[in-house]
Amino acid sequence: MRPSLSLLRTTTFRLALAQAGIVLVFVIALLGYVYFATVGQLNADSDLLADQEYAALDRAYGEGGIRRLNQEVVERAARQGPLLYVLAESNGTVITGDFQQLPAMPIGTAERVDFNFERLDEDGNDVRGRARGQVGRLLNGPILLVARDLGDSALISGRITSALWTVALFGVVLSIASGLIGSWLASRRVEALADTAHEVMGGDITSRAPVRGENDEFDTLAIAINAMLDRLQHLMQVSRTAGDAIAHDLRSPLTRFRQKLEAALEAPPNVEADREALRVALEETDSVLDTFTAVLKLARVEGNVTWRFERVNATAILRELVDFYEPAAEDEQRAMKGEVEDGLYIYGEPGLFTQAVSNLIENALKYTYESGRVEVRAVRRVDGRIEIAVSDDGPGIAPEDRDRVLDRFVRLESARSTPGAGLGLSLVAAVARLHKGGLHLRDGLGGQGERKGLGAVLVLPAMANS
Amino acid sequence: MRVLLVEDDAEMAASLKASLSADDHEVEIASDGELGHSMASGGGYDVIVLDRMLPKKLGVAVVRELRDQGVSTPVLILSALHDEDHRIEGLNAGANDYLGKPFSTRELLARVRALWNGRDREPLTKLAVGDLEMDLLARTVKRGGKKLDLQPREFRLLEYLMRNSGQTVTRKMLLENVWDYHFDPQTNVIDVHISRLRSKIDRDFAQSLLHTVRGSGYRLEA
Repeated sequence: MRPSLSLLRTTTFRLALAQAGIVLVFVIALLGYVYFATVGQLNADSDLLADQEYAALDRAYGEGGIRRLNQEVVERAARQGPLLYVLAESNGTVITGDFQQLPAMPIGTAERVDFNFERLDEDGNDVRGRARGQVGRLLNGPILLVARDLGDSALISGRITSALWTVALFGVVLSIASGLIGSWLASRRVEALADTAHEVMGGDITSRAPVRGENDEFDTLAIAINAMLDRLQHLMQVSRTAGDAIAHDLRSPLTRFRQKLEAALEAPPNVEADREALRVALEETDSVLDTFTAVLKLARVEGNVTWRFERVNATAILRELVDFYEPAAEDEQRAMKGEVEDGLYIYGEPGLFTQAVSNLIENALKYTYESGRVEVRAVRRVDGRIEIAVSDDGPGIAPEDRDRVLDRFVRLESARSTPGAGLGLSLVAAVARLHKGGLHLRDGLGGQGERKGLGAVLVLPAMANS
Repeated sequence: MRVLLVEDDAEMAASLKASLSADDHEVEIASDGELGHSMASGGGYDVIVLDRMLPKKLGVAVVRELRDQGVSTPVLILSALHDEDHRIEGLNAGANDYLGKPFSTRELLARVRALWNGRDREPLTKLAVGDLEMDLLARTVKRGGKKLDLQPREFRLLEYLMRNSGQTVTRKMLLENVWDYHFDPQTNVIDVHISRLRSKIDRDFAQSLLHTVRGSGYRLEA
């Protein structure tokens, strides 16, 4: 069972949450800034003004006592201005001023106050507001309060604040909503990819991820996944073909083997015939074992086995191989020629390298006609790589078949009658890959009409000739 | 010749014992590495044929310990693992020869004989089989006093045959020892090399020295 994608756990949704958090932090910072730029500045101004007035009145009290102070307060309160005044007795009873009573608070020596008030204006209307100023007990007890009516500024800053909070709320809600929508859309695409993966796991290798053609990251991913599936499908096809081919290759000799044995058993005892049957059985067994050996060797070259690489004198090995095969070629009326440059070195496994080139030479010898030619040429190319070309003037391989013959077990129909498990070229290609090189097929030494011959070219990185 | 066969597969051991006995060897079987090691330590064998994958003690370890104890009996390792690395590991441990599975019985018999022959080989400077003489220092070959003109590869091939004269050498042994090739050519390359060599050493003489052993290989014998 596949766990369904929970919307709240998706990456996009988490990103949206983070985004909402950022919006919130931004709004709080903005709020702080606006508050200090408006209310803060206002308060600072009021504080300065109230302090100055309080100090002036305190001085007047010092000079002229309570009478003088009372007079000053009455005068100042009567003046039109932003400041409000209250003078009260030490027990809190108001003597004179803008308010009928002091704000409810404990009063000590001069200190800052911030309070709501309620008073009657000149026209007798009830006014409520907020004020800020300085209050304190003067010498011998009277209480003096000088404050500034904050008026509309508190209201304005309150509105700004609530507006910002509203914006913040919307920002957070929108972020979360867009996150939800985004993650829902993304998870639909992801689920489409996951569906494909599950179909493939379920056995349908032909299933492909949908590509919307929007060139977005999901399309990129889908295209990559599809390319991977194409490759896997091809490999599965190849190995299935290989499985069929190996079964076919082993079935034939085993069937012949069985028939000979059965015939020998059923025939009347005859030492000569029995020995012949045994000899044939031995040959067939050898051919089956050869196939297994070749399959295992190929698997080891293609597998994750670590081979011990060393500096290999390719020139010496190639000349030795030509020397080795030359008599056999001559014996079968093939002309064999070797042109190997001096000082060719590769970094590799000498046994595998030798076997790879030997496979190419044997292939060439096998597929040339009588009085044909086989040529081994090895040169260091301009790009520094070593090119080993084994060419013949045999029937060759049609260009469209050339890639296919490098797959395991592929033997073209025309070659079905000749022995061999169809693994020779695959092994050479695998050895070439192991040595960070390649095997390519091209026209050979032909020339007369259809017969172009075959050139098998092994290209390997060279090692410095020192 | 007394052969110690260390092999855990009872069926395989019985079949090999039958073949070796038929080839006039006296065979004793050890069914695991430890037993094989203790039997071999006692000495008294001319050749040890050792499977690589053995219970209790691996073949390579058995050889190494025998050599450390100073037992110098020639050892042939049999193994399904016969890549160059495995072969080198076995030979480095002190084995004298290494034969990959599957192998033919003839191959095994030829190699067991060659091991026995090859033990305590003195460094030679001259080889002789009948009236065929080889001077390893001057790198010359004469038959009946007449100098033969051999190519370097023919010289190497003849040298190996002469060193193992009187016994059968297989195509595989020639490939491994003369050319150092550890794969099977699909064609009859070795036979062609032999027939060329034969035309040089035998053609002009009444007595043939280089014999074909049907189904096995070749033997150089006077």
